[in-house]
Amino acid sequence: MDPFSINGGACVAMVGKNCVAIACDLRLGKQTLTISNNYPKIFSYGDTYLGLTGLATDIETVSTDLRTKVNMYRLREERDIEPETFTNLVSSYLYQRRFGPFYVSPVVAGINNRTGEPFIAAFDCLGCTDYSKDFVVSGTSSNQLFGTCESLWEPGLEPEDLFETISQVLLNSMDRDALAGWGAHVYIITKDQVIKRLLKTRQD
Amino acid sequence: MKAEDDKTRILNDHCLMAYSGEAGDTGMLTRSFGRGKVQFAEFIQANVQLYGMRSNCTQALSPSSVSSFVRTELAKSLRSRKPYNLNLLIGGYDTVNDKPELYWLDFLAAKDKLPYAAHGYAQYYCLSILDKHHHPNIDLEQGLKILRMCIEELDRRMPMNFKGVNVKVITKTGIQDLEY
Amino acid sequence: MSRRYDSRTTIFSPEGRLYQVEYALEAISHAGTALGILAKDGIVLAAERKVTSKLLEQDSSAEKLYILNDNMICAVAGMTADANILINFARQSAQGYLATYNEDIPCEMLVKRLCDLKQGYTQHGGLRPFGVSFIYAGYDSQREFQLYQSNPSGNYGGWKATSVGANNASAQSLLKQDYKENCDLTEACSIAVKILSKTMDSTTLSSEKIEFATLGRTPAGKIYHHLWTAPEITDLLRKHGLAKEKTEEK
Repeated sequence: MDPFSINGGACVAMVGKNCVAIACDLRLGKQTLTISNNYPKIFSYGDTYLGLTGLATDIETVSTDLRTKVNMYRLREERDIEPETFTNLVSSYLYQRRFGPFYVSPVVAGINNRTGEPFIAAFDCLGCTDYSKDFVVSGTSSNQLFGTCESLWEPGLEPEDLFETISQVLLNSMDRDALAGWGAHVYIITKDQVIKRLLKTRQD
Repeated sequence: MKAEDDKTRILNDHCLMAYSGEAGDTGMLTRSFGRGKVQFAEFIQANVQLYGMRSNCTQALSPSSVSSFVRTELAKSLRSRKPYNLNLLIGGYDTVNDKPELYWLDFLAAKDKLPYAAHGYAQYYCLSILDKHHHPNIDLEQGLKILRMCIEELDRRMPMNFKGVNVKVITKTGIQDLEY
Repeated sequence: MSRRYDSRTTIFSPEGRLYQVEYALEAISHAGTALGILAKDGIVLAAERKVTSKLLEQDSSAEKLYILNDNMICAVAGMTADANILINFARQSAQGYLATYNEDIPCEMLVKRLCDLKQGYTQHGGLRPFGVSFIYAGYDSQREFQLYQSNPSGNYGGWKATSVGANNASAQSLLKQDYKENCDLTEACSIAVKILSKTMDSTTLSSEKIEFATLGRTPAGKIYHHLWTAPEITDLLRKHGLAKEKTEEK
């Protein structure tokens, strides 16, 4: 009964050339029983995107708490939050629960609105930030995701190639994990647009 | 345990909540001990009704906001000294968007909106039947037919007698008890 | 003599009045005018900004119009410092509701929560009431577009068109004259700018002196709120022949 693998799920983010991508699966389960095949794990906060895997109840709690914080930030500052700032917010928010943590592994992806630099980061459930220049993964399929990322990702991918890469990475990792899969969402983020695609996958 | 125990609560005109907890955690016994599932159900019912009264009965909570409210309260209790231990189904008719909705919540306060849902052993016996026969736009008649199939399956295969079922229907016009 | 009944906010005078509340109302009647007009497809809020000095930094952010949440904005008349406290309260309150119910707070409920806070200061002793009146423009799915006004006593009401601040009596009577039932948002904007031009002290209007905000629905059906930029306000003024440059040409 590891809280991180009760509900199952997978999430991955990647950097491309002036773009980033983030993708998640759609399964919600209770151990081996699948409850739903439409449970997205990516949330948007302005132009910054957050993927959450782990315990479903904490995915919901963390995503709404952060929405409250980001909304208040936007009202105060009269602008959207930058991915770097948001990363620090997530980190300090999670560490507030150091001795009774939320069982989630967040992933952040976005493009800095000022510099145009792509940005990704991942965390453990206590808020320790893992900055990365290539890719970050989380969820029950994280081992498989690391493997497929290492072999498929290459630097300087254009948005369409990045979409193909991240989709193949996620799809092939999910197929080797009984707790993740059942459809996927992929976001390709460039400076002036965000494309969201739904992937149909095998339903077993 | 009583044989005829209605494990549902009418929250408002278009919203019904069904709940189940661990065996023995029901009725008068837990009432004297404090926080049982009935107490949680009563708490939710009272608060949803209070919301209606505060707006002079002009506004009622939509099924989606009821489910979010229930989830917030259950999630609060999850990390408290003595958490509630119950699984919930919330059915409601959204009168603004003219759509029926079903929400599934487990004792960890994980929530999802589903086309069909079950809790406990019924999940293992019935979800496969629902996977096969449920379609997005079935009418009430067809829905009841599938429900009957599910209950027959439970009757046949469950290793215990669950002493019949309560069936309630939520439509645009409100909540009705169904003879079953 | 007057000192006897107004040293405390909570003491009624023999005529049954609360002097401190009336003083607060008096303070507001010296503030810049703010008005709101309800149209069939949206709401416009307009406010007079009193520029006190040329040396004052003219920052881009509004000083009289504020966003409360995704579907509600408000105009302020009175003490800005007091207003900031109340606006922060309203924003947190709205976010609290959103977190619990995953739905935007109904407009009247937010107005009511704010007014409950204001009312508290007319009853519990030792503190001064908030010297602010608000005009709220909001949208919710149940009651659609709504316009409310509230004052320091904690009273509030729904309106089709209303005004607060200096000259609000004349603004109110102009609104009564000019308001058209079922007007659209652009008509409402022109009514607003015309009335503001008549009630303001200065003869010429400019984008530094007024603020404009609209709440409406996009063609796709999404609710938007928009605080107007200086060029947009200048455009509107020019369209109605109220801009500074225009008067200089004549």
